[in-house]
Amino acid sequence: MWLMICSAHDASALWAFHGLRARGLHPFELVTDEMLTTRARWEHTVGVDGANFNVTLADGRIIDNRYVNGVVNRLTHVPLQHLAGTPDFEYAQQEYTALFMSWLKTLPAPIFNGVHSQGLSGAWRHVSEWVWMAAQSGLPTATYSQSSHDNIDETKHLRRIVPDGTPTTMAIVLGDYVFGPTLPPHIADACKALARLARTRLLGIELTVSQSHRLWTFAGATPMPDLRLGGESLLNELARQLYVNRRRSNS
Amino acid sequence: MILLCGIPTETPMALVSDALTSNGRRYVVLNQRKFASMKMSLDINGGKTTGRLQLNGDSYSVDEFTGVFTRLMDYHHLPELKDAPADSPELKFCSNLFETLTRWAEISPARVVNRVAPMGSNFSKPYQAQLIKRFGFEVPETLITNDPELVRAFRARHGRVIYKSISGVRSIVQTLTDDDMSRIDNIRWCPTQFQAFVEGTNVRVHTVGEKVFATAISTDATDYRYAHRQSGDHAELRPAELADDLAEMCVKLSAGLGLAFAGIDLKITPENYVYCFEVNPSPAFSYYESQTGQPISRAVADYLSGN
Repeated sequence: MWLMICSAHDASALWAFHGLRARGLHPFELVTDEMLTTRARWEHTVGVDGANFNVTLADGRIIDNRYVNGVVNRLTHVPLQHLAGTPDFEYAQQEYTALFMSWLKTLPAPIFNGVHSQGLSGAWRHVSEWVWMAAQSGLPTATYSQSSHDNIDETKHLRRIVPDGTPTTMAIVLGDYVFGPTLPPHIADACKALARLARTRLLGIELTVSQSHRLWTFAGATPMPDLRLGGESLLNELARQLYVNRRRSNS
Repeated sequence: MILLCGIPTETPMALVSDALTSNGRRYVVLNQRKFASMKMSLDINGGKTTGRLQLNGDSYSVDEFTGVFTRLMDYHHLPELKDAPADSPELKFCSNLFETLTRWAEISPARVVNRVAPMGSNFSKPYQAQLIKRFGFEVPETLITNDPELVRAFRARHGRVIYKSISGVRSIVQTLTDDDMSRIDNIRWCPTQFQAFVEGTNVRVHTVGEKVFATAISTDATDYRYAHRQSGDHAELRPAELADDLAEMCVKLSAGLGLAFAGIDLKITPENYVYCFEVNPSPAFSYYESQTGQPISRAVADYLSGN
C-alpha cells in the first residue's frame, strides 16, 4: 500500500492524494493526523528484528510499515484536541510527538519527506540556516540580518527574509527535477543542490525575481510546499518515484 | 577565544571554565542571567557569517570565537524573568538575544559543544534507538502501545520489564510490577513505552571528539540515577576500560549523531553483548567526574581549544 499522511485540512495534500490515486497507486490510503490519535490502537516495536509499527484506526483499517510501498508525509504536529484540558496534557503532547518521530522513522523509502530530528516531515530549519545553505548551494541570496534588538517575537511569527507582501514564486524540487516556474539552468541546478545539501527529497524553494533584470534571489525554503504549485507534471513524477517499490503487498 | 554560555555557577560550566583557566586558554563567559546587559547581531552574506556580541562591557566579533560551549537553560525559568508577563519587553529581548546566539552557533565554523539540531534525536528515545542500532549496538526489545493485552503478552514473554517515558520528559526508569499491571488500562489514553530488562553492568561513556571516558556503575536500582530513592543505596561509580573496538563504536556513534560531546548509556551483559539505551547530548558529566576523577572537563576544554 501507499500512504498519504496529512492533516484533514491540508488542501494541497488532498489534491495530491486524489491525483496520485488516479495515476494507479492502489491501495493508496489517506491517513489523517486526527485518525492516528483518536481511538487508534498502537503497536510499535524496536529491537533485534528492527523497528515496526502496526496501528489499527478507528475505521478498522490497519497500517503496518511492512506492507508500505511509499509515503507522502506531511505531518507537522500531533493533534490532541481530544485531550485538551486533561491534567497531563503537556506530557501527553511530548509523548505522542516522540512516538510519532519514532514510528515515522520505520516507514520505508520512498518517502516524501521522511521524519527528521527537526521535524515530523523533514527538517524545519530556521530561515538563517536556509539562507546560509542556499548560498553554499549557489543560489543568489540577499544579506540576512538578525539581532537581539529586532522587533519580532519568533515564538509567534516566523522570521522571513523578504518583507511580508513581497511577490515570490515557489519552485519545487523532487529528486533531480524542478517544478513550478521556468528557471534559468544555473538557478535550477542550485535549487537541486540545496535540496541535496538539505537531504530533503521534496523541497519547496521560494524565490523573488526582479522583472527588469530577471535576477532570481532565494527567499525561503520549506519541506512542505503547496504541491499544487508543481501541477500535474509534479504529480506524474511523484507517482513514478512512489511506484518504485510496488512489490510489497499485504495480501 | 572560547565562549562559554550558561550559568557560571552550574557545576559542568564551572568545571570547563576551571579547566580552560588551568590550560591558560582565553575565554569569556556569557552569564545567561545578565542577558539585559548584552547585545548580539548576526549577518549572513554570501554564506559567510559575521556579527558582534557585546557582553561584560566588551564587544567581540563572532569570528573571534573558535570554540563555543553551551549549556543554556530555558530563559523562561531565569529568576530575572520568572514573573515577567508573556508580552514583556524583557522577555522579547531575551528571546531575540538567545535566538540570535543559537542561530549563529548552528552555522558558525567554530567548534560548538553541542549544536541544537543534532540534539533533537534525544527527544524521542525509540527514534534515537533506531539510529543507534545502525552503529552496531544492541537495543533492548521495546514495545510502545496503548493496548493492555499487548503489555501482558510482552511481560509474559520477557519476564522482568521496565517502563519509561518515550520522550525526555519524566524520564525515570521503573520496573513494571503487579501493582502497575492492576492499573494498566490507564495506558489506553496515551501510548507508553515498555522494555525487556537487560541484565548486566551499566556503563556511562562520555565521548569528547575522539576521546572516550567510560564509567562503570554498580547498583541494584532499576535507574542508577535514582539509586538512593529506588534501592536505598547510592550507586558506586568507577573508571572502566573499554575494548578498542567498543570505544571506536562510541566515537562513531556520537559523530554520526553530530555530537561533539555526548554521554552514552550502555549496559554490557555477562555474555558481552553491548546494549545502548540512550545518547545524551547535554550530559551532566560533573557527577561522573566528581566520583571517579576522570578528566572529562579537561577533555572538553581541550576540544574547544582545537586539540
